[in-house]
Amino acid sequence: MSESLRAFLAHALEMETEAGERYQELAEAMGLHNNPEVAEFFSTMAAEASVHIALVKQHADGQTLPILKAWEFDWPDVEAPESTSYESTHYRMTKRQAMQLALANEKAAEQYYRQLARETIDDQTQNLAAQFAEEERQHAAGLERALRQLSIEPTHHRQDDDDPHVPE
Amino acid sequence: MKRWLRSLTNICCVVAFHLGGFTIMAVLNNLQATGGELAIAITGAGGAGVISCGELILRGWARKGGRGMLRKSFGPQIRGGESAALLVLSSNECYTAATHYQLVLALDWINFDRFEDEIQVSSDTLVICDSNDTVPGSIVASGATVRDLSFEQLSKQAHPEGRANMFAVGMLAAELGLSPGDLCQLAEQKLAGKDQAYIEAAHASIVNGYDHPLHCDLKRPAVGDTDSWCVSGNQAVGFGALQAGVRFVAAYPITPASDALEWMAGGLEMAGGQLVQAEDELAAINMCLGAAFGGVPSFTATSGPGLALMTESIGLAVASETPVCILNVMRGGPSTGIPTKSEQSDLDIALHGLHGDAPHLVLAPTDIADCVSTTEWAVQLAQHLQTAAIILTDQFIAQSTGIVSPPVNSQWQAPQSTDVASEQQDYQRYQLTESGVSPRAAPGDPGRRFTADGLEHNEAGTPSARASDHSQQLDKRRRKLASVDFGNNWADIAGGGELGLISFGSTTAAVKRAAQQLADEGIAVTTVALRLLAPLQITALDTALSACNVAIVVEQNHSAQLFYYLRGCCDLAKTVHSVARAGPVPISAEEICASVREVMQA
Amino acid sequence: MTEALVLKPKDYKSRVTPIWCPGCGHHAVLNALTKAMVALGKNKDETVMVSGIGCSSRLPAYIDSYGFHGVHGRGLAVAQGLKVARPDLTVVAMGGDGDGFSIGGNHFLHACRRNIDLTYIAMDNEVYGMTKGQASPTTPMDWDHSKLTPHGPGLRPFKPAAIALSAGAPWIARGYSGNPNQMAKLISEAMEFPGFSFIHVLSQCITYCPEQTDWKQVVHETEAEVVTDMAQAATLFLAEDGMQTGLLFRQQRPCWPPPAQAPQHNAIAVLAKSLRA
Repeated sequence: MSESLRAFLAHALEMETEAGERYQELAEAMGLHNNPEVAEFFSTMAAEASVHIALVKQHADGQTLPILKAWEFDWPDVEAPESTSYESTHYRMTKRQAMQLALANEKAAEQYYRQLARETIDDQTQNLAAQFAEEERQHAAGLERALRQLSIEPTHHRQDDDDPHVPE
Repeated sequence: MKRWLRSLTNICCVVAFHLGGFTIMAVLNNLQATGGELAIAITGAGGAGVISCGELILRGWARKGGRGMLRKSFGPQIRGGESAALLVLSSNECYTAATHYQLVLALDWINFDRFEDEIQVSSDTLVICDSNDTVPGSIVASGATVRDLSFEQLSKQAHPEGRANMFAVGMLAAELGLSPGDLCQLAEQKLAGKDQAYIEAAHASIVNGYDHPLHCDLKRPAVGDTDSWCVSGNQAVGFGALQAGVRFVAAYPITPASDALEWMAGGLEMAGGQLVQAEDELAAINMCLGAAFGGVPSFTATSGPGLALMTESIGLAVASETPVCILNVMRGGPSTGIPTKSEQSDLDIALHGLHGDAPHLVLAPTDIADCVSTTEWAVQLAQHLQTAAIILTDQFIAQSTGIVSPPVNSQWQAPQSTDVASEQQDYQRYQLTESGVSPRAAPGDPGRRFTADGLEHNEAGTPSARASDHSQQLDKRRRKLASVDFGNNWADIAGGGELGLISFGSTTAAVKRAAQQLADEGIAVTTVALRLLAPLQITALDTALSACNVAIVVEQNHSAQLFYYLRGCCDLAKTVHSVARAGPVPISAEEICASVREVMQA
Repeated sequence: MTEALVLKPKDYKSRVTPIWCPGCGHHAVLNALTKAMVALGKNKDETVMVSGIGCSSRLPAYIDSYGFHGVHGRGLAVAQGLKVARPDLTVVAMGGDGDGFSIGGNHFLHACRRNIDLTYIAMDNEVYGMTKGQASPTTPMDWDHSKLTPHGPGLRPFKPAAIALSAGAPWIARGYSGNPNQMAKLISEAMEFPGFSFIHVLSQCITYCPEQTDWKQVVHETEAEVVTDMAQAATLFLAEDGMQTGLLFRQQRPCWPPPAQAPQHNAIAVLAKSLRA
């Protein structure tokens, strides 16, 4: 396996792993903050991520991948493309908003893989990157379909009549 | 000549001196009872060095096998102020402040009225001073015998740099039968670091003074075993803590506790421990909690104002079940109060100063020697019970230097631990147990990670606002104090009479003397000197007082804090009275006796 | 396979779900801290998280290590006492802007001065989040959303980095909750630095300061080399906009305390002897 492919797989694995863990964290946070619909959605996304992780590991085929520190990965932005930013969430966010975040993640992931496929000179890497890009495109398409099926929600959903609580 | 109560030695000396020569006149000696006592006050200002004089005499006396105590009193200046060395030499170790002085050496009379409350004189007192100074009106009015002696002039006769205070040392040495060589050696130790010429002048003054004995036949108390310690309460507490295993101290200076911390600084280094000077008392107590959380027994010392600042975090120790020991040296309160004088007015804050229901330990050594074992015990208890222990002494005990027989150690043994090693999934830091004590992990222990918390929590330590968790943890924290066997040292109980005298801390000595006096008068007394103030051993206290019809609670504070505390917990006796007076003048045996007689007559 | 032995960030998290509002910056700090611990291969049993009171002070319970959740403002004192008594441990102190710069201000100053080998992460959201949104020492002068200061605090906010510098901190960095990977790097470097390392984290409060989402537009990573000269650093910290991130100042200095002496043989007996008459 080429160095380039190893590095690529390390990045893909990291991206999927962090995506899944992030969705899981957000699912738990939403659960604790009593937004069950969004909690469930993020939970589903976390489960899907583990499927993707398994697939990536298959491609790794038992090879030792480079172990990089979190900040040593080369991402286009500050975080891995598929990691939902903590600050984009809100305890009263709607399922639509959550799905839009997930959609943005998938598109960013697709964009990342496409860019990599364009830039790499390694054939194996290029093939796999293109493959992964296509998969991300399909995930995105799936989310878009699901979004179209969602009902329209009220515009003031983020409003909470009660003041914030003071736990301490 | 007026007769005194038999428990005090009364000496009256009349001596007259002429410049350049001495004429000794007849001495009148009054009889002395068993337990002789000799009280000497040495006063002077402007850097006269009277404290050093007192210290040397005390140590010289100790070398001879004598017993005694030195207290110090000062004006407000940092240097050059008025000072008084107050020596009580006795044949027993029951040290109280003298209520009357047999001998007063006044190197000068500057602002002597500052000391009038403490240095009480009468017609039985011999006062020695320089005739050039105006004798204060109070001295004249007392009828004390005043004899002229120019310390300054005489000391310069032997040596141009001769010092009056060292001359006085020599004089007293002669009077007390001490060896001048000993005193010279002690002086050299005291003055180590000063230049040789200075030390030589001191020696010369001592020897010169020794050659000018008072010839007033002061009645010396009997001497005994030379195997003794010369130690202050603050040092004794520090030693007890180190002996018990304290290896971390956080210090913020405050009068009159700083000496304890300063002494411990040296001791800790020797013992492989650490001392951090904190930026304030809040840092000090929290640093102790950090070290204790890390498994290192820790300790701090403060006084009333500092204790008040620390209370929030002492509560944190209780809630998070982190062991810590806090010495509080009580001084005149409230607020800034009287920093250099003694009082027992921090009992309330020690017992009740933590917000919430926060049961904890409060102990009080009964005297200087008791500071060692009681502090050791406090550390042992705090460690075993995983809580805060406040040790109450007062300025009287803390800053008096006493000659004491080698102190005993704490005899208390922690119950065997039933700690069973458990893995991470089983380990619960605040596990509910029968004794209330949960096995305590410390960082580094594998597989027992937990977060200690001041928030109320469940057994695992996770914050909880649930009623069941709160009541379970409250019960646990109370139960662990209630179910441990404290043994017999919760109090010192003596006598068996129908009158109960209850005290804690430094008033205990006065109570003991009063009991003796009263017994001589046919009034049988039971004395109870409390050492463990919280948790109060109510059943044992009731038993101790079971023969008493009348109980009197004696304490050095204005609002009768101990009286109300005890009465809030139990009845004590059919009739209960309070003898409560604020500082700065220590409560005396005579005062207690007078109150007792009043009560008995009513 | 080596992969199984290497811990992942989530392995350093406890089973407790954070109570922080979704959208709170502290989630990112927790994430960054776990990544740093992974990078350094930290032993969970030998690491202690210490905090005071506030939203960010809840963090120790969310990490699977030893922790101490103390009282308001005093976390640094606890951390310092712990590290002095147990120099073998890795100690990380943390808290918010109120906890650290108001009630804890004195301890912050002296912790910087003492230069004990530990890391302090101050999560600054310029508000007292836990107690309903009061102004803190870093709140902008004209922020008028608190009933306590309805016209805004009217006071110039503290510059924590400048204070840390003048109080003696030898290592000063700034992070931003919007960039957890950069924070992870900074935390990792902080933990490795021998001495008191201070990370000032801009960590937004979604509930009381939703406008802080605009930070994303103004936060910028420093492009300069880390400053190692104090006078230069002073100019930097007083002149900067307070939004630049990265390692900003570093100077090697001896830590305190010096290594403890080995205990003297028979120390207690020797001390007892010194108290003899």
